[in-house]
Amino acid sequence: MFVRPENWNQMSPLERRKARLDAWQNAPVQFASPEAEANYKERIDRVRKIYDMEPHDRPVADLFMGANEYVVRRKGLVGKDIIYNHEALREPILEFHREFQPDVSVGVLPYPGKPWDILDFKTYIWGGQKLPDKLAIQAVEGEYMRADEYKDFIADPTAFWLKQYLPRAYGELGPLAMLPDFPRISESVDTIDLLVPFGLPPFQAMLHKMMEAGNELMKILGAVGQTGAMVAAEGFPSMGFNIVKTPFDYLGDTLRGTKGILMDMYRHPKDLLAACEAYVPVLIKSIVGASDRTGAPCAMYVLHKGADGFMSKEQFEKFYWPTWKQVMMALYEEGITCYLFIEGSYNQRMEYLAEMPEKSLVCHFDKSDMKRVKDLLIDKFIIAGNVPASLMATGTTDEVRAYCADLMDLFGDAPGYIMAHGCYFENTTDDKIRAFMDSVKK
Amino acid sequence: MSKELIEAITDMREEDAVALATKLLDSGVSPQAVLDACREAMGIIGQRFETGDCFMPELILAGEILGQISAVVKPRLQQGGESKKIGKVVLGTVQGDIHDIAKDIVGFMLDINGFEVTDLGVDVAPAKFVETVKQTGAKIVGLSGFLTLAFDPMKETVKALKDAGLADVKVMIGGGQIDENIRQYTGADAYGKDAMAAVAIAKSWA
Repeated sequence: MFVRPENWNQMSPLERRKARLDAWQNAPVQFASPEAEANYKERIDRVRKIYDMEPHDRPVADLFMGANEYVVRRKGLVGKDIIYNHEALREPILEFHREFQPDVSVGVLPYPGKPWDILDFKTYIWGGQKLPDKLAIQAVEGEYMRADEYKDFIADPTAFWLKQYLPRAYGELGPLAMLPDFPRISESVDTIDLLVPFGLPPFQAMLHKMMEAGNELMKILGAVGQTGAMVAAEGFPSMGFNIVKTPFDYLGDTLRGTKGILMDMYRHPKDLLAACEAYVPVLIKSIVGASDRTGAPCAMYVLHKGADGFMSKEQFEKFYWPTWKQVMMALYEEGITCYLFIEGSYNQRMEYLAEMPEKSLVCHFDKSDMKRVKDLLIDKFIIAGNVPASLMATGTTDEVRAYCADLMDLFGDAPGYIMAHGCYFENTTDDKIRAFMDSVKK
Repeated sequence: MSKELIEAITDMREEDAVALATKLLDSGVSPQAVLDACREAMGIIGQRFETGDCFMPELILAGEILGQISAVVKPRLQQGGESKKIGKVVLGTVQGDIHDIAKDIVGFMLDINGFEVTDLGVDVAPAKFVETVKQTGAKIVGLSGFLTLAFDPMKETVKALKDAGLADVKVMIGGGQIDENIRQYTGADAYGKDAMAAVAIAKSWA
């Protein structure tokens, strides 16, 4: 948890950023040994200097965006284990850290399989459920908001998520639609409106399901939290971020679907723009709240539909960038660094990123032209990426070594560079992981 | 008025395009002439896609417009009015992957460029590709995969085709993380970075 200092209102954005990074860097850890403590401090200090774009000994190699599943798959665990068997992940994760000594921690995302089953979660499928056991998860794109429902979303985004989206996304959450519209709860007798659903059997049955799912979630978070604490105790800091999206991507990925939202640029342009705009204050409040709650100094944007090829520059300028930039500027004001995980290519978007203030972004690239990244962005932002997932999966160790060496030629002396993969992969070899990690060491 | 129809389609004026097509048909223009105008418009959109002047939204919307116009034209089309196809392609997203948008765009672009496309959908098992190639006699297979988990199913599908004695069938692959590394790994004959590349590859094999 991040607690704002008393003089928060007098602080500049960069002072606030420093306060958040200080809190993250100095968060209490119960170390396993003095050696682990020294290693942790050395590692987190290096990451901190990169985040601050200050002189440091070398870049870090971060495995999280690429090898997060490999650390357990290499020990024979599969997608179903990642979703359901969180205790079983601990030993492989700890063993990986002991053996490889990575610069920062790496582990699988805490997918809550049992709560998904209990609530009949529909917008993903996963290993052990509808996917083969060996696979982890995949999104099921759909139209979870109809085009004629934009008006409902624009009027009250939060109410839309609560009363219209959740009942569609989770089979057991249908009764949420029975909730009243909260702005009407004002006069004494309006308590009746508020409480009526809670007295009805379908709503009560849903609450029991939610409690059951919540209890299972606590077990998962307990297991995952224990693993994370043990990894930190042995000397490995985390990069520190919450996952977020742009207004356009939340609407496109989750509510309208790719085809739906791309057609909306032609069929419902005013509604789409109004929805993105209505989303801005809601997202700012939500992301700042999550950053305070978790103490993570970065908001990690998983970027999808603004990439090259998905839309023209004109469409990006009109539909994607303005509201995203508004949110990012608000986060900057709050001292939160935006970590952009840029899937696909962003060759036609770099000039827009360059509009953001210094140190406001970490730009993590997948397939973009890294020479151009160097020319345009290296002095202003922290850069990360772009070792191809295809190379890690199917290339030779020498090819990985050569690719990373080229990146080091470009970015080895940059103010801030994080060696990282462009995309995640299921399988690689230990030798390729070592070649990747060793590439940053002089 | 065919010129107006072509412009309406290439300008993405959806309602105008469908109304104009209907008007042309009502005024006695042959269904084939309307389809020819649509094909010309699609060719222009394809070229714009190739040169980076239009993008996914335009390709998808053009597909929607074409679908609506086809629905109006087809009841009036006489038997044998379809143009001759230049080749057959079996297309699908490989087993374990359920992404369809890029595959659909490739299928659409192949179709308007004169190929007869059999689209098997998503999460398609290697055996299904083999069976369909045998049924249709297609000489080209297109494998789509968005996720890195598609690498192995692509490789298995290429192997299944070879094992089934279909070594003369050419396989092209494409998708988010597909590149030359993956082409070599899977044993595919070619990879395409986008839908226009897929068309160029298929034409070179037709």
